[in-house]
Amino acid sequence: MDQKTSERISNSVKFIVLLVCGILLMMPFIWMVSVGFDRTANITMPFPPRLIPETISSFNFGIVFENGRLIQSYINSGIVTTCSVFLQVSASLLAGYAFSKGTFKYKRLLFVLVLCTLMIPMEPRLIPLYTLFNSVGLLNSFWPLILPTVINGMLIFLCKQFFDQLPGTLREAAQIDGAGEFRIFFTVYLPLAGPIAATMVILSFIWSWNDFMWPLVVLNNQDLHTVPLYLASFSLENGTSLGGLTMALATVSILPIVVLYLFLQRYIIQSIALSGVKGE
Amino acid sequence: MVKGKISLNENGVEDTVNIHDDVETIKSKKRKAALTWYIFLLPSFLGILLFMVYPIVESFRLSFFRSNGTIETFIGFSNFQLVLTSKTFWNTVWNTFFIGFFQIFLTIPLGFIFASLINSIRRGQNFFKVVYFLPNVTSIVAAAMIFQFVLHPEMGVVNYALDAIGLPTSTWFSDPSTSKWGVILLAVWHWIGFVIIICLANLQAISPEMYEAAKIDGASGLQQWLFITIPNMSGTFAFLLITGWIGSLQRFNEVYVLGGPNGSPARSIQTMGAFIYERGFTGFEFGIASAATYIMFVIILIFTFINLKVSKMQL
Repeated sequence: MDQKTSERISNSVKFIVLLVCGILLMMPFIWMVSVGFDRTANITMPFPPRLIPETISSFNFGIVFENGRLIQSYINSGIVTTCSVFLQVSASLLAGYAFSKGTFKYKRLLFVLVLCTLMIPMEPRLIPLYTLFNSVGLLNSFWPLILPTVINGMLIFLCKQFFDQLPGTLREAAQIDGAGEFRIFFTVYLPLAGPIAATMVILSFIWSWNDFMWPLVVLNNQDLHTVPLYLASFSLENGTSLGGLTMALATVSILPIVVLYLFLQRYIIQSIALSGVKGE
Repeated sequence: MVKGKISLNENGVEDTVNIHDDVETIKSKKRKAALTWYIFLLPSFLGILLFMVYPIVESFRLSFFRSNGTIETFIGFSNFQLVLTSKTFWNTVWNTFFIGFFQIFLTIPLGFIFASLINSIRRGQNFFKVVYFLPNVTSIVAAAMIFQFVLHPEMGVVNYALDAIGLPTSTWFSDPSTSKWGVILLAVWHWIGFVIIICLANLQAISPEMYEAAKIDGASGLQQWLFITIPNMSGTFAFLLITGWIGSLQRFNEVYVLGGPNGSPARSIQTMGAFIYERGFTGFEFGIASAATYIMFVIILIFTFINLKVSKMQL
């Protein structure tokens, strides 16, 4: 057997192993969709499990949409995420740029302080933040979910790294023309920051969309629940009793994210890789 | 200052009065410039002060008080004593570490093997990347909801498949002795995509010249993997180990969905985060919860420090 054929065989073996494991990994999703379309799954789950339901029906999905709470939670998540992403990315771009190109006192010290925030988990901050927002009467509104996202050490760090790669000579040219620091930032550097801004938007979106513990603490009002909160409350109420309905709900809640992911997969995977590689 | 000197040379001796003015304006310009930079930092540092520094300090103060948010009494170290002697708390520490340990030491090797396989095939690399990363983009809350059914002891697919190929089945979430393994399985499934993506990015950064040199020396594919790839990935493993532990020690979302704030069945999957949530927001014992967060914070710091030492990572 020459080298080429043996290489081809090992290549095919690897491909098949990856394919089988990939299908196993996708199995929960496949089953989720299948049960969601099963008319009888709310009484007893189909057993033995089958890929194609006996009676295919959109009954469960009909209930999910009729109920309306999922749609409401989508709108809520949409509002919170949009505002958070905008706030977080803008603040991080400004700070990252200043830490990269700025000359001012205590620059190093302040940057170390930013890096320190990376080590602080949410838990020790839960109660004081809760009483803080309670004292200004903002509990059960979206403000407590949006405002604290203004600071994100990881994004500032990524942003500084990016601006560090851009030459400082761009600044000097603009400075000679008499442009102020803000004008230099907005007209010279910001237009070049597209790639890192896209990465920041993606990361920020994922974090904000999936945020759970803090929203759970501040939002008691069901009408304000975000998608993860609604899913959790539904799941805790019903446990494993309403199989078909739960799976239909899970499908509808996951689907838009999956579609978005399939469209943007290259950028999303790049962003995740960047946050890991640079984190080293 | 330098510019002032230059203007002296240019303007000659007669303009000495102007030099003072120049120096003054340059100084004030510099001060103004520095001020501008602080405006750039203003939003972030307002955030740090209000949402980081203040809560950390306030939570430290609270841990010495008995408090329900309105009435406070100073009680010294009692909260710490109560938490540190609480069997329930140490049980959550054990649960957190148990789940974290198996999640990390199953996912990193598995993810690395998958990443190596994906990296070595010629066609379909991108397809597999997309497929394997898919669980990670779905929220862990939705994933936990699905896994309740997937791992259901009577009607779940996993037990059916295990039974079909003649392997023993498990009671998963319905029994305290197996429920942690259900969480571990969910955590591995959810995290593996992240590990694969990070490993792939770093695998592709290893210089191909090393492999070529090894090939010339007659090293087999497996030998190259063992003696070039793995040593070159040690930084990546360290990164995954540290971020993995930091994430695991804060585990809350999935155990809350699967077992509620007290981690049922029988507190077998209650984590440190869930203990804090239970004490703070179902019992409104803010002092006890604050003391517990500080203990948890210290555990995370010590453990991260040990991880850094073990992996000899330079930060």
